[in-house]
Amino acid sequence: MKIRTALAATTAILLAGVASAETMKIGITQNNVGVDSYQTTYEKAFIAAADANDAVETVVLDAGGDVARQIAQMEDLIQQEVDAIIIWPTNGEAVIPAVRKAHKAGIPVIVTNSNIAEQGFDFVKSFSGPDNITQGARSAEIMCDKFKDMGIENEAKVVHITGQPGYTTAIERAKGFEDRLPEVCPDVTIIDTQPGDWNREKSQQVMEAFLVKYDDIDGVYAGDDNMGVGALNAAKAAGRDGIIFVGATNFAVGYEAMAAGEYWGSIYQSPVDDAEAALQTAIDILSGKDVPFLNYFDTPKITQDNMGDFTKPVF
Amino acid sequence: MQPGALAKALKSGAIWGFILLELIFFSVAGEFLSLSDKAFMDWENMLLLLKQSAPIGIIAMGMTIVMVNGNIDLSVGATFAIAAIVLLDSMTWPIFAGLGDWVIPVAWLLALMAGALLGALNGLIVWKTGVDAFIVTLGSMLGYRGIVFMFNGENPTSHLNWTLVDFAEAQFLGLHTATWFLLGVTFAIWFLMTRTVHGRNAYAIGDNREAAVNAGIRVGPHMMVNFAIIGFLAALSAVVFYSESGSVNPNDGQLYELWVITAVVLGGTKITGGAGNVIGTFGGVVAIQLLRKGLGHIGADTSTVNLVIGLILIAVLFLDKQLNVKGKEELKI
Repeated sequence: MKIRTALAATTAILLAGVASAETMKIGITQNNVGVDSYQTTYEKAFIAAADANDAVETVVLDAGGDVARQIAQMEDLIQQEVDAIIIWPTNGEAVIPAVRKAHKAGIPVIVTNSNIAEQGFDFVKSFSGPDNITQGARSAEIMCDKFKDMGIENEAKVVHITGQPGYTTAIERAKGFEDRLPEVCPDVTIIDTQPGDWNREKSQQVMEAFLVKYDDIDGVYAGDDNMGVGALNAAKAAGRDGIIFVGATNFAVGYEAMAAGEYWGSIYQSPVDDAEAALQTAIDILSGKDVPFLNYFDTPKITQDNMGDFTKPVF
Repeated sequence: MQPGALAKALKSGAIWGFILLELIFFSVAGEFLSLSDKAFMDWENMLLLLKQSAPIGIIAMGMTIVMVNGNIDLSVGATFAIAAIVLLDSMTWPIFAGLGDWVIPVAWLLALMAGALLGALNGLIVWKTGVDAFIVTLGSMLGYRGIVFMFNGENPTSHLNWTLVDFAEAQFLGLHTATWFLLGVTFAIWFLMTRTVHGRNAYAIGDNREAAVNAGIRVGPHMMVNFAIIGFLAALSAVVFYSESGSVNPNDGQLYELWVITAVVLGGTKITGGAGNVIGTFGGVVAIQLLRKGLGHIGADTSTVNLVIGLILIAVLFLDKQLNVKGKEELKI
């Protein structure tokens, strides 16, 4: 009897030993936790998801927005011989040499949330983040569906306020929107496009100019809710009703404007989904699964009709 | 033993004792808390430590001589960013297009000159207006940062040159390129401060400015040279760092002035001037990087680093004050 228990005990220890040897060590270096609630929520969700998974051990680091610290953290993670590194780049180009170092050391690198520049693609296993082209296309669909409900899909005129010129996110969302809209609503015309630089005040000025220039505006598409709300404020100040506002990346201000019935719809991008997708991508790569290079997580449509299904964004 | 000798030894040795304490703590704690199978005191890890200390460390050497003067320079972070932009942008200028990779030394030179000029400008204003260096460099910190944002708005300035990256990543005799620069600068400033007239004057001015003037030291030009040196070193730090990363955000280098000053004060330099040395500063720089690295190693939250460094800084200053008081009392007897 004694021998058997002893045996059982040793087997258990052996098994435990094997199990711990198989746990995946994943390191993450984040951009700047605490600078906004999206990133703070992201970190909390990442840690929660890692804790819930017994097969994973994580080293969670934050670069504090400092490129030098992020590169040092990459070097430390390589030195600690983690199995995979997740990076939220502080600067999409400055981290490329550090990513190459990890690649040379045989450690797979997963980029999360915002991608690094193309020169670094060779050193990266996968990008986990939002699909901005689809976000743009979905915004076009939201707008078209609303025009059809209103019965103005044959003559509606739309103005477009884009994000900061040169930003990949801005370019991709604009492309998605402009390609998709003629497919679903061929008779709707985009009469003007101007950058709002992700800035609410700038966007408000752009919209003020549009309102003076055009007597008939039926819809406004803004590259994110921050700019969308800026445009909405301009329309409210000018006393122009009945304009359909559609944005992307649902912000708390956008959500509130939707609840007030002034803002029609947006794209819901959750930091929790973002964090969980990044961790899952790393786990899949380490388990030898085939993972697409651009591994997007879903960012659903949100409008006044279905906003009850979503919690108010924290940012 | 002379009175105060013990206190002096304690003071200059305190930072090294602290580093030893950190090493022991992180080695032991790392055994239990770290995910890594490798020891914290791993040789490679210690080499990385020196390399990662370089960006702050190179500037800290310049800050030591400025603070021994009784001055301070808050604009180093902004100078760092400007030099980085000059470095990366000048490599793409059409006039240098025919140079091939020979554009690299030209870009380095331009960046270093920009840094030295910006530093000298600070010094000139301090010299000619007599306004306190804290105020002057507070102004230039904002002004220089403004220039950075004017140059390229919120966008990063980028130019990735793999030849340059390979040079910056190289290891000569086991040490990284950045480490060589850190050691070289430390030696050069040590030599300047301990073996030259300029260095002796720096201590004299910091100790008692009026006495220095009476002794015939040209205080204004002396301080201007030191500001040019720290500007040059801020640029050198940028040159070494951005050679390896090829892209600068407009807010890069922000808060560097505070980390640099923290390192210098940890290293035993008096904020009122007249006392301090670069060897202590070197210790201060290593202590900060060790803390960042170690807390990451044992999986502590990154924000605890700032809390711990803040507490240690206050403890060091308190200890310093206690030891000084004791020294004076002993002299009276």
